[in-house]
Amino acid sequence: MGFLELINFYVIPGVVLGSIYALGAVGITLVFAILRYAHLAHGDLATLGAFLALAVVTALGLPPLVALPVAMIGTAAVAVGIDKAFYEHLRERPKIVTVMASLGIALMVRSVVQVVWGVDSESYVRGIVRPENYFGLRIKDREIYTVVFMIGLVGVLQLFLVKSKWGKAMRAMSDNPNLALLSGIDNKKVVMLTWIIAGGLCAAAGVFLGINTELKSMMGWHMLLPMFAAAILGGVGRVEGAVLGGLIVGIAEELSVLVLPSEYKAAMAFVILLFMLLVRPTGLLRGKVL
Amino acid sequence: MSALLTLDAVTGGYGDTNILQEVSMHVDAEEIVVIVGPNGAGKSTAMKAVFGLLNVRGGSIVFDGDNITKWAPNRIVQRGICYVPQVDNIFREMSIQENLEMGAFLKTGDLSAAYDCVYELFPDLKERRKTLAGSLSGGQRQMVAMGRALMLDPKLLLLDEPTAGLSPRYMEQIFQICRDVRSTGVAILLVEQHAKQALAFADRGYVLASGQNRHDGTGADLLADREVAEMFLGG
Repeated sequence: MGFLELINFYVIPGVVLGSIYALGAVGITLVFAILRYAHLAHGDLATLGAFLALAVVTALGLPPLVALPVAMIGTAAVAVGIDKAFYEHLRERPKIVTVMASLGIALMVRSVVQVVWGVDSESYVRGIVRPENYFGLRIKDREIYTVVFMIGLVGVLQLFLVKSKWGKAMRAMSDNPNLALLSGIDNKKVVMLTWIIAGGLCAAAGVFLGINTELKSMMGWHMLLPMFAAAILGGVGRVEGAVLGGLIVGIAEELSVLVLPSEYKAAMAFVILLFMLLVRPTGLLRGKVL
Repeated sequence: MSALLTLDAVTGGYGDTNILQEVSMHVDAEEIVVIVGPNGAGKSTAMKAVFGLLNVRGGSIVFDGDNITKWAPNRIVQRGICYVPQVDNIFREMSIQENLEMGAFLKTGDLSAAYDCVYELFPDLKERRKTLAGSLSGGQRQMVAMGRALMLDPKLLLLDEPTAGLSPRYMEQIFQICRDVRSTGVAILLVEQHAKQALAFADRGYVLASGQNRHDGTGADLLADREVAEMFLGG
């Protein structure tokens, strides 16, 4: 197999898949950094985002990229609502209680998706898309959008965290929650902001997975493990780490097909997760939380 | 003349146990007052009571005419008291400048005057304002912590063992900074483990033992008191 085949059939799909994981992993890492628990409903929120976009696409006949902002806003609102209705009441309890609650939320969100949209596979646009040829590299337009949007969204998030007052407040809350409270930073607003960002990015992950593959009610749940692996690989609490982790997990999954039967592709994330937890639990970029 | 801060027979603690038993003290405007006493005397607890971090079950705390006994910490911050905890008192992953900015979180509008004021007190910090606070030495961290607390122009600054773990040179520097801060019109209430040095530098002091008032007076008087001296000779 030549170099170009390796790039075309394994690395490019790996980068695209990795970008989708990255969008989810950034949200997971933010929730962990600020609220200090693993949010297991993250995958199913991504599913919800994907199907919200489908509703817009079928109702108004718009392309999925135009439906993306609607899906992001809708999912962010749902994430804030879930926090207010459920997680907020568990804030003072041991964190494991919220982790378990989020598993219940995951099942609830998935059931709602199944009741509203059914359990069959759907897609945004019917038909086969042929890749364009760039000097021997075969890339589909939607693959370019996925990577560009991921970089754009994470870039905007980074700017927000570094430059804006509320972004800094989020970092302060993740850094030293007690001191943040002593400084008069409004805990509730920071938590709400975290859910808006995490929910929005989650929806983007779901929509791009839907654009590149198809929509299924279990699509998000199946992404949960790779997204967590990505967040831990990059270092929990590090946005840039989550992106790096997502790309590595995505590429590793695609490359694994070279040496393992393709049914074991999904196990790659699990192997990476175990390996990192054993060897370097702080992650590649030395996480702030673990 | 009424004092800036008055604790009147304050009883309270964490959970159900009372650590403080009818502790009374006061701080006047632009005064440096130190709380000393043996380990477990309730020094830090008395300070936390002022900042609303304690279950106060008896007595009252009045600040600048307001009864703040039951207030939440963020309301107390807004009213003009800032608190520097003994440990974990900086944002390690943020730059010096960002630490100060977070200190002024409740302030709207232009912060440049507040930055200038803090950087004038701590010229060392100004040169390194882009440096991550977590990479600084112990003494410099304490300066960042104090600077953060001063960004809101408090009337009263609470310092919990600001010299803990610092070399004598830094201890002297921190005390000098306290005097400089006082000269900008801020009163300081601090808890100190280094009782002799602290009493020598403070205007007045309170000696607590077992959560109760034991002695009070000017720093010099307390240092001259035989009973107080004996208390600290062992420790």
